[in-house]
Amino acid sequence: MINDRSMETHRDDLGSTLGMWLFLLSEILLFGGLFLLYAIYRFNYSQSFHLAAESLNRPIGALNTVILLTSSLTMALSLYALKQKQSLRSLCFLLSTILLGLLFLFNKYWEWASKFEHGVYPNATRLLERERGEVLFYGLYYSMTGLHALHVLVGIGLLTAMVYFIRKGKVHHERYLPLENSGLYWHLVDIIWVFLFPLFYLIT
Amino acid sequence: MPSFYEENGRFRGFWAWIFSTDHKRIGLLYLLSILSFYAIGVLLGFLIRLELIAPGPTIMRPQTYNALFTLHGVIMIFLFVIPGIPAIFGNFFLPIQIGARDVAFPKLNLLSWWIYMGGAALAILSLFTGGGPIDTGWTFYVPYSLRTPVNVPLAVLGVFVLGFSSILTGINMVTTTHQLRAPGMTWFRLPLFVWGIYATAWIQILVTPVVGITLLLTLMERLVGVGIFDPAKGGDPLLYQHLFWIYSHPAVYIMILPAMGIISEILPVFARRTIFGYKAIAFSSLAIAIVGSFVWGHHMFVSGQSDVASVVFSLLTFLVAVPSGVKVFNWVSTLYKGSIEVAPPLLFALTFIFLFAIGGLTGLFQGALATDVHLHDTYWVVGHFHYVIFGGTGFAIFGALHYWFPKMFGRMYHRKIPYIAWGLLFVGFNTLYFPMLLLGWQGMPRRYFDYLPQFHSLQFLSTIGSWILIGGLILMFGNLVHCLFKGEKAESNPWGGATLEWQIPSPPPRENFDEIPLVSKGPYEYR
Amino acid sequence: MNTYIYIWVSLVMLTGLSVSTAGRNWGRWGLTLALLIAFIKSGLILNYFMHLKDQKKMKWIRWMIPGIFAILVFFIGLTFLDIALR
Ligand code: HEM
Ligand SMILES: [Cu+2]
Repeated sequence: MINDRSMETHRDDLGSTLGMWLFLLSEILLFGGLFLLYAIYRFNYSQSFHLAAESLNRPIGALNTVILLTSSLTMALSLYALKQKQSLRSLCFLLSTILLGLLFLFNKYWEWASKFEHGVYPNATRLLERERGEVLFYGLYYSMTGLHALHVLVGIGLLTAMVYFIRKGKVHHERYLPLENSGLYWHLVDIIWVFLFPLFYLIT
Repeated sequence: MPSFYEENGRFRGFWAWIFSTDHKRIGLLYLLSILSFYAIGVLLGFLIRLELIAPGPTIMRPQTYNALFTLHGVIMIFLFVIPGIPAIFGNFFLPIQIGARDVAFPKLNLLSWWIYMGGAALAILSLFTGGGPIDTGWTFYVPYSLRTPVNVPLAVLGVFVLGFSSILTGINMVTTTHQLRAPGMTWFRLPLFVWGIYATAWIQILVTPVVGITLLLTLMERLVGVGIFDPAKGGDPLLYQHLFWIYSHPAVYIMILPAMGIISEILPVFARRTIFGYKAIAFSSLAIAIVGSFVWGHHMFVSGQSDVASVVFSLLTFLVAVPSGVKVFNWVSTLYKGSIEVAPPLLFALTFIFLFAIGGLTGLFQGALATDVHLHDTYWVVGHFHYVIFGGTGFAIFGALHYWFPKMFGRMYHRKIPYIAWGLLFVGFNTLYFPMLLLGWQGMPRRYFDYLPQFHSLQFLSTIGSWILIGGLILMFGNLVHCLFKGEKAESNPWGGATLEWQIPSPPPRENFDEIPLVSKGPYEYR
Repeated sequence: MNTYIYIWVSLVMLTGLSVSTAGRNWGRWGLTLALLIAFIKSGLILNYFMHLKDQKKMKWIRWMIPGIFAILVFFIGLTFLDIALR
């Protein structure tokens, strides 16, 4: 008979890492359904997709990509610093991650808003007058970037909670798992954007 | 040692239940909520049948009928069978069977139940708000679900939320099985119920999000009209069907795999013999989970999908039948030369095999392209899926209730009554559903409020069957509920089972094991 | 710490590469290249930022991502059987 509680808590850490990865898998398939739709419609309407993509703002898209990639870097650095017992540095990196996330959302908002001004939004009469393929392109564009932006928002919420926990001393160099898991989530959201960017902005 | 009923933790009374993170209490919360929804579902089924007792309007109007069969389907599928076994028995018994004190994430577990109740509440709310009860069928097919004036958005949101709960349960079960097995509990010493729940949990994690996004898009389609599924805007409604069935076909494995796990638990105990072909059963669960994810197109044979796709999906469909057949043969071989005691749990398990075999074989008819053109959307299909889902998963749940009742509640039910109840259930079930197979064969379409006079006698017979069946249900549950309070105290191992849950007191203490056991033999090795 | 910076630099450079190649008219290959770059980028993020590479105690979780990708390919591929041949 074995009754080693310390062994159990040790295993717990691995457990929550596993649990987080499983959750990320289901996130991937949530977007997976949208990628499926995208693949089909792009195949069916490659001409219109090409045409519609031209009118997206490529520089802003590229800028946003760099912003998210950088936020991923600061996220990784924040965890690294926390593990090195430098919780202040960790906090700074964490805050920059949050700021970059907000910046991303701001750009996204601006991008959407300028499209809206041109009457390009779901169900808009001016959009519906265009080719079917273009309507579908924008349908997908709004659904996919919208869902992604929602995930960024949730990520920002998580990271803000982490700021609070680190300041309260509830998350620290020995108990860094909550930060690590929030980080995993943040990186995944980044990866999804890595695919969204070329699929919407760089169609040739 | 006090049982988990006596140790309350921080809260008292009612609160000590709905805020408990104990996997056993959460299992019982699910038991109560799921069976309550089941009762409502049965009532709706009863009303549907009553309407169909004679041609023409009988007790309701067509629109009410449409709402009733939709509601019946939604409740039975999303609130009863899909969460059923994993959430009730998986929660209660998986940790005990692998020698753990709880699941990997107890708080998340409680959250899943809350989310489940939230989703159910939204679905119920949708009946009384907006345009009223939905009439789309449980499949919410577009474009109808985009056009009908009823409250589709809220109902769809409710189902989306339920999916969330299902994913979280799946994550919990996979992690628990990987991380919390007791020392010596190797993968091939896991009880087969654990294998069933484990395979199911992977399906829950991997395909539930696909229906999640489908429903979310349907919701957005209703609210802002993005156009992805709307043929008027260039969308392809068949893509809705693809995405919906990418989830909903594997969902039938979410329903049946844990049920098969239960059967594999019950048979060896009452045949006093180790299970035949342990590994074949374990791996066939995984095989079903994997291959079963690629057969969804068999729901679309007459939808206008390409012929090549139909042929491929038909082929794959026949392939999944193989591992299911493997299991049936293994079960039967387990009984061979056993010293069989037909106690109530075994009776239900045997009935499972019989009804599931009928359900499975009728499924093969539908998997064949030519016959399906004739059978699609007829009562044949209704008969088929009731044989698999109700005859399969439903009866497995009844078996599990009778098998684990003494362990869960520490009391034994009246041992004679289940036989009578079983008789009613068995006769009622077949009188209710077998005529449906015949009706479908003769061309009676499904989801119809009215029918031609030539179908009257079979429809009438079917309605009589529903009364007998419901009589059996009342008797069976009445016995269980009565003995919950009045039954005699149960021993810790009334059936002589060898798995871990039978080695601890009935009902189990708060953390199941005083000391984590050291496992040194397989789950079905009797002395 | 330096590794992180190097990875970030490569990620940004790959983004640049992706943008600059998108200007040319390479037909089908444009999409292939863009996806290839996206896969390399996610591989870097997964292995370095998300530490999949260092996952020593549960080596098998490294296979989850390729696994999920295979499943997605099957889903999309089988759907194309319908769409492309209808
Ligand atoms: C007393 C029990 C039951 C009765 C009398 C009953 C009766 C019926 C009938 C007559 C229909 C066909 C409605 C139509 O096509 O017009 C139906 C549909 C259905 N039933 Fe049941 N049923 C019962 C139990 C169950 C159970 C236990 C389940 C699942 C676990 C279930 C799942 C379904 C589903 C999914 C549909 C399809 C609904 C649709 O077409 O949208 N039923 N039921
Ligand atoms: Cu199916």
